[in-house]
Amino acid sequence: MNLAVILILGAIGLGSGLIIYLANARVPHKVKGSEKIEEINKILPGINCGACGYAGCFAYAQELARNASTATEAPCTVVVQDPEALGCLEKALNIDLDALAINKKALIHCYGKSPVIFNYSGVKSCRAAVQLAGGYKQCPYACLGFGDCLKVCPQDAISIDREGGMAIVDCDKCTGCGLCIAGCPQNLIELVPAGTKIAFRCNYRPLKDIPGREKCQYGCTHCRQCFKACTDEAIIWNKDKAIPEFDIEKCTLCGKCIEECPQCTLELFTEARTEARA
Amino acid sequence: MSELFTIFISMALVNNFILVKFLGLCPFFGVSKKLGSALSMSAAVTFVMVAASAATWLINNYILIPFGVEYMNIVMYILIIASLVQIIELFIRRTNFALYNVFGIYLALITTNCAVLGITLINTNEAFSFIESMVAALGAGVGFTLVLAIMSGIRERLELADSPKAMKGLPIAFITATMLGLAFSGFGGIV
Repeated sequence: MNLAVILILGAIGLGSGLIIYLANARVPHKVKGSEKIEEINKILPGINCGACGYAGCFAYAQELARNASTATEAPCTVVVQDPEALGCLEKALNIDLDALAINKKALIHCYGKSPVIFNYSGVKSCRAAVQLAGGYKQCPYACLGFGDCLKVCPQDAISIDREGGMAIVDCDKCTGCGLCIAGCPQNLIELVPAGTKIAFRCNYRPLKDIPGREKCQYGCTHCRQCFKACTDEAIIWNKDKAIPEFDIEKCTLCGKCIEECPQCTLELFTEARTEARA
Repeated sequence: MSELFTIFISMALVNNFILVKFLGLCPFFGVSKKLGSALSMSAAVTFVMVAASAATWLINNYILIPFGVEYMNIVMYILIIASLVQIIELFIRRTNFALYNVFGIYLALITTNCAVLGITLINTNEAFSFIESMVAALGAGVGFTLVLAIMSGIRERLELADSPKAMKGLPIAFITATMLGLAFSGFGGIV
């Protein structure tokens, strides 16, 4: 009796699956222009995550078919990670997509070596630690390394290292969804194009006037040595923020700015990737 | 004929799905902020209710009852409704794009809506005939549409009303829903 029940119910389930399969294979596409949408829809991951800002993958495919530039304005972070899918999308939309420009990666603007100035023994969370006199490190803007960003990362791309005081992003795993930006109470994280060559590891802003809470010896001193050292005009000095900005196109990765920097503020973005992998 | 009319009125007003049976409360509060999206949602719900009632009636009477496995009907109904909605969505997407854009994402959302499962189980429990269950489903859908339209109309006005700060948004909507429920209890003696 029980076996019969299992068989009957299993048969109904199998039948439903078969009908859906047949319907998918046999129902003709009668709507004009829907072939293109269906073709684009096949390339998309189909997980309806909504990261692109549209209501599901099919709605995104409709928008892409209508306006191909959406692919660069609101890129699908999953497709961008996969060169093969990206190639298919380029072919389907008949446009060129610059994978390195639309593929974003999280960059943490801190070197993480700011000295500890008091013993914090509270809740193990950056957001809680910041409430107590702006954190336990000398720099009030430093990465505290409790991993609030790590907890929100859906890709498991962030780890805590550099002797335990600093979050490090594994760029191979990072899809550039940007969830960690809201997770960081220090506002240290920024999305940068995947082709970025130099990482700027300091977030110090001279706003808080607390004795003993200066920038650490690793932070940017605004000496402009990197700007002077660059022979390719790839560094632009941002006068408002007093920090260097990098032009990805012009940078030849000669490494002069890193050599000239008296602090530990600049490092190779790609080197940071291998470091995180090791 | 008068029997069918009684079923229809009973499902639409007296035993209203939202305000009396408390089914489908998530769309009642989730999608009742704008009249347009509320009507889209209730159109999709009504459509799926009727289709699901037809499909489950056939499965129940020609497969489950003859083999004596009616006690598994909840599991089977969930499976059937889910696959039915998938197929309907596929058909609409490939044949009529304008309709697809009206139903939009709501069609996929209501595969697991309790109001849809509720009407099929009520049809089974009341042992309705095929026609009767169709009319019951239509009545339930019309009742759902009515309440969602009324509620979204009220909420659009509440947005502008000068309600106390702590009551703004969902709290005042809950209170409104209570009063709406009380008003609908007035239909109690009709049938």
